[in-house]
Amino acid sequence: MPELHPAAFFRVEGTLLRRPTALAAAWLATNSQRLASRLTRLGSVALGAPLAWSGADPTTAARVTWMGLRGMSEDRLVILGEEYWATWLDDDVRPVGEDLVRQARRDGRRIVLVSDNLDVVMQPLVERLGADLLVANRMELRGGRATGRLAEPVVARFGGQRLKDFAADQGLDLSRSTAYGAAEADSALLAAAGLPCAVHPDRGLRRMARDLDWPILEHDR
Amino acid sequence: MIRQDLQGTHILLTGVTGFLGKVFAILLLQEVPDIRLTLVVRPRRRTQTALQRFEHIADTSPALRPLRERYGADLGRFLGERVQVVSGDIEKPRFGLDRPALDALRGQVDMVVHCAGLTDFQPDPARALAVNVAGAKHAADLAGYWKTPLIHVSTAYVAGNVSGDIAEALRPGVGPSGERFDVAGEIRALQEACRTPSKQTRIDRGQERALALGWPNIYCYTKGLAEHLLAQRTDIGLTIVRPAIVECARTLPFRGWNEGLNTAGPLAWLISTAFRRLPTQGEHPFDIVPVDDVARGLALTVAAVRRGEQPGVVHLASSDANPFTFERAVELTGLGFRRWTRKGGGTSADRWMRWLDPVPVAEDAPGPFAVPRLKRWARSLRKATARFEPAEHLPTVIADVFGDTVREQLDSLTEQLDEANTHLVRIEKMLELYRPFIHDNRYVFATDKVRAWSDALGDDEAAFRWAVPELCWREYWVDVEYPGLSTWCMPVLRGEEVPSDPPSTPPLRLEQPSTTLHELAGK
Repeated sequence: MPELHPAAFFRVEGTLLRRPTALAAAWLATNSQRLASRLTRLGSVALGAPLAWSGADPTTAARVTWMGLRGMSEDRLVILGEEYWATWLDDDVRPVGEDLVRQARRDGRRIVLVSDNLDVVMQPLVERLGADLLVANRMELRGGRATGRLAEPVVARFGGQRLKDFAADQGLDLSRSTAYGAAEADSALLAAAGLPCAVHPDRGLRRMARDLDWPILEHDR
Repeated sequence: MIRQDLQGTHILLTGVTGFLGKVFAILLLQEVPDIRLTLVVRPRRRTQTALQRFEHIADTSPALRPLRERYGADLGRFLGERVQVVSGDIEKPRFGLDRPALDALRGQVDMVVHCAGLTDFQPDPARALAVNVAGAKHAADLAGYWKTPLIHVSTAYVAGNVSGDIAEALRPGVGPSGERFDVAGEIRALQEACRTPSKQTRIDRGQERALALGWPNIYCYTKGLAEHLLAQRTDIGLTIVRPAIVECARTLPFRGWNEGLNTAGPLAWLISTAFRRLPTQGEHPFDIVPVDDVARGLALTVAAVRRGEQPGVVHLASSDANPFTFERAVELTGLGFRRWTRKGGGTSADRWMRWLDPVPVAEDAPGPFAVPRLKRWARSLRKATARFEPAEHLPTVIADVFGDTVREQLDSLTEQLDEANTHLVRIEKMLELYRPFIHDNRYVFATDKVRAWSDALGDDEAAFRWAVPELCWREYWVDVEYPGLSTWCMPVLRGEEVPSDPPSTPPLRLEQPSTTLHELAGK
């Protein structure tokens, strides 16, 4: 039986970055090639916001949010993904999050970043942190253009059987792994890991962390 | 294997002062042991001999950086051992070399590679005839005299005004329109048409003849005539190499290098200005090949000829194995412009312009900013400003106080509108020149030969690999082509200086060079 490695799972949003994913979708939409598409795509992305805020199923909210990018070329997604990172996210990485990544690496853990943002936006973070694996959303492409659908499986909540399957595929030992999350939606990820930690959590996750005796780490402000 | 094929080969090369010729020479000098190059260089001025001209290029051209870095102060000795510069002019019979000089080179030269050419789309046909047609004939005469093979570098666009798959073949005496023609008669007729003193009339007549046989412009026409003329020769082993659109280098001499005005430069410049709607057929291939890949393809062809193969016609193009469409090119140009300005390139106006992406538009749906419409608006506005007389059209009280100021402002606006109109006329002419390639015709050039030669290369021969089928257009266009054009081509379009390297101290001199063929013949 192959050796299983301990990992450190980081939910990017909240733990490593402050900006919500929907802003990336909105920014990409407003940078469409044609002026008319900028308005229609932004409107479509905006439909996802009430869903996200109303506590609807996060997978549905993610699907609706990214649906607005339908028709955008892969070239544009990749290049603007890098630009969005460089313009808005590169200076937004939380120092505490970076410290946690460094500590996890020193502890010999595989670094796994989990994000509901697009892989093309997150790739520079993977390179910056030297992460081993990225679990992020991918736009489904046909003929070099986004269909408007996210490729399955959609990353919204990440936990349960899907996390177990992922860990098995990658040779990760969940019971010896740490997981860092910041929102109630990350509870499934934290619950599956042997060493969960809430990082500057929202109200829901804070209550859960207290109930379950998970450590709570506050960000420097 | 290719290094063995080329080892010790002596090539007489024309066009080394040009874009492709430089890179081809550098590739051979870097990668082939004991290669010998005899370079035909025309003296530029009375004060600069052919050798001095070449030495100046070797000393200051950015293209020679890899050799300067590798050999440093020893470059003069290295070039002196490998390179022989001969003073010659391709427009003259046998390049202007006399018999003793020709005899001195007989038995030395293994092959003639004719890279020189005039690449303007709409040149004076008299010049195009002298350079593209007569130059090719003179190269063939030399190859015939020495009984060596000739590799003639042409263009893939001799295919003319046709659409579809273009085979690596030539039908001698048949123009792209399918019409049979007599090459010698056609050349005579063009010479006759060139007798008029008016350059514009010469261009119009040349263009007329080109279109009649199915070529879109004088460049393709004269390149085509040269091919048909050479195909009649039975005394030479002829290979025709047809590159498509030769653009910025991927790796050799270094990433992004370009020289002069190439096809994509003006287009990229155009859609980086306020003009953001390019009339093109988005799905048509934009057949780009990096210059170093063209040099590699040319080296593979030379090696094949050295092995005794007779390739006939060889295409060096991208449209069959890795097509890059105009739709992508337009979008990636905008994205490249955007990235370039984000990293500090361009003016503050450019940084604003990056938010407006260029788009391809169909000619039958040109939108509100089509060039003819903009011209009409500019003309109407100009008429209105010219007619407006403050004293006449404004109330007396206002005219008395502000009349002079208003007139000054209107005069300034009129000047700006004149400039805008001139600019629009230039754009319109440029789009007309490019139209056959970006809109009317859909070319897919077969590249079976170069791909087969490349596939047969060994692992240690990557320097010669034809990598176009694996080229990532996104990375190439945004990170190589656009920055390359910005550095090396767009200054030319703006009438600015292109960067060159400072000359070394003391200036580079080829050691023990044979300065001219006359001297060579005298030895």
